Amino acid sequence: MSQPIKCSLCEEAATVHLSQVVHGKVTKVHLCEACAQKGGATDPAVFQLADALTTASPAPTLTCPKCGFTDIDFRKRGRLGCPSCWETFGDALGGLLLKVQHEAAHVGRAPAGTLPTGQLRRRLDAARREMEKAIAGEDYEAAARLRDEIAELEKQLATL
Amino acid sequence: MSSVEDILAAENELTHLLGAQQAVVLSTRIRLARNLDGMPFPGWAKVPQRKEISDRCVEALDALPKFRRGHVLRMGELGDRDRAVLVERHLVSKELAAGKSGAAVISRDQTCSVMVNEEDHLRIQVVKAGWHLRGTWHIAEQLDDALGGSLKLAFSDRLGYLTACPTNVGTGLRASAMVHLPGLCLAGHMDKVSRALNQDGLAVRGWLGEGTEAAGNVFQISNQQTLGLSEEAILKHLGGWIKNVVEQEWNARRRLAQEEGEKFVDRLARSLGVLRSARLLTSSEAMNMLSHLRLACDMGCLPEERRHLVDRLMIEGQPAHVQARAGQELDSDGRDRRRAAVVREALKDFPEIVPPTA
Repeated sequence: MSQPIKCSLCEEAATVHLSQVVHGKVTKVHLCEACAQKGGATDPAVFQLADALTTASPAPTLTCPKCGFTDIDFRKRGRLGCPSCWETFGDALGGLLLKVQHEAAHVGRAPAGTLPTGQLRRRLDAARREMEKAIAGEDYEAAARLRDEIAELEKQLATL
Repeated sequence: MSSVEDILAAENELTHLLGAQQAVVLSTRIRLARNLDGMPFPGWAKVPQRKEISDRCVEALDALPKFRRGHVLRMGELGDRDRAVLVERHLVSKELAAGKSGAAVISRDQTCSVMVNEEDHLRIQVVKAGWHLRGTWHIAEQLDDALGGSLKLAFSDRLGYLTACPTNVGTGLRASAMVHLPGLCLAGHMDKVSRALNQDGLAVRGWLGEGTEAAGNVFQISNQQTLGLSEEAILKHLGGWIKNVVEQEWNARRRLAQEEGEKFVDRLARSLGVLRSARLLTSSEAMNMLSHLRLACDMGCLPEERRHLVDRLMIEGQPAHVQARAGQELDSDGRDRRRAAVVREALKDFPEIVPPTA
C-alpha cells in the first residue's frame, strides 16, 4: 500500500490536492485540512512556495552556520532562521524567489548612509550615459556637473 | 487608565473627522518589514533572544520624536480583549496578538505603529485616512531612516532588506488601500475586478487582512512583489490600479442609481430604517448596512459630513470594541444588543435618505 501524501506545509496527512498550470507546466500542492483553511489553498504565493518546498530533498543538505537552521526547517516553516540564512540558502532559494517575486535582485532603497556598491554602480552607469547625452546636446554645463558626479562616485566605489 | 483605553478614547483620523475623508478609499497603509543584523528572526529565536530583540527595538523606537507621548504595549501584559481591540483597529496583526513576546509602539495620533517580534523584528506601519499614498510613504520613509540611524538593519546589496519570508525580501514594502466597493459588489463585478488585480500582481483581501471575509464591501488591495522593483515603481503600480478601481466603482454606482431608480434609494433607506430601530444587530449585519449608509453619504442621499460617523461605527461595531465600550465581557446576544443600542443612539438624528445627486 502506498504512503499517504503529507501536507506540503506541516507534514499532516494531506486531504486537499491542488494542481495549477503555469506556462504549460503542471505543478501540484498537497495540503492538510487546517493549512488549506488557513488560506493556503487560495493564496497564489503560498501555492508557489509549497510547490518549491515539495521538490526539496528529504534529508538536510544545508545548515546555516550562524543559527543552525536547515533546509528541512525551511520546508516545515516556509520562513528562514536569521539574516545569514539568506547567504546559506541563497542559491537554493533562487528558483523560489523567481517564482514568488519574478525578480532576483533588489533595486530599491538602502539603509541611510550606506548606499551599497550595486546602487553606486547603477548610478555611475546612468551618470555616464547622461553625460554622453549632454555632450551630444552641447549642454556643457550639465556635462561638467555630471563629470564631477562621476568622479565622486568613482572615488566612493574605490574606497569600498 | 490603561494604554488601550487611552487609545479607544483618543480622537484620531480614522474614527473622527480630523483628516481628509474620502469616498471609496477609506485609508492608505504602508508597511515596511525590517530586521536587526545578526539576530535570528522571531520565529526561530529563543525566548531570551526575543527579549533582547524586543528591548533593543523598543528602546530605539521610544527615542524617536514620532513616538513621543505615544504607547508602548507588550502583548504579554495585555488581556485578551485589549489585544482584540488593537487587532480590530489594525494597529497590530492577529499573529502579533497571538504571541506573548511581541510588542507594539504606537504614535500618539495612532497613524504610526511599529510591531516588534511579529514575523520580522520590525514591522513599520503608517496609516492615513483617505487616499494619500505619497504622504503616507514619506512618513514611513522618514521612520525607516530614523530607525536605520540607531539600529543596524539586516541588508544585502543583492537582495535588499532581508526578511524571514521570501515573499517580503527586497524592499519589505507592502503598500495598500482599504477600499469600499458597494457598487462593484451590488453589480456582481467584484470577482472580475479581483481576478484582474491578481493577474497584475496585486492581492485583494477582506477587512481584517489575510484570510478574512470582505464584510461591509470593504477590501484591502496591496502589492505582492517586493523584490526587483523600486519603492517608487511599487507605489506607482498600486496607485494606477487604485485610481482605476475608484473610477470603476463610481461608474457602477452611477449605473445602479440610474437603472434601479427608486429601488436603489429604497435599499439605502431600508438599511437606515433597520439600523435605527433594530434591538439586536450582529456585526456582519451592521457592517453590511453601514456600508449602505456610507454609499448614501457618497452619493448625496445623506449629507456628506455624516460619513465620518459611519466610518466610526464600522470600527466601533466590531466585537471587542463593543465589549470594551461596555466595560465588560458580553455573550453574543449581549454584544448584538449593545451594538444595536450604540448604533440607534448614533443615528437618532440622522436625516431621511433622499434621491442621489452624485
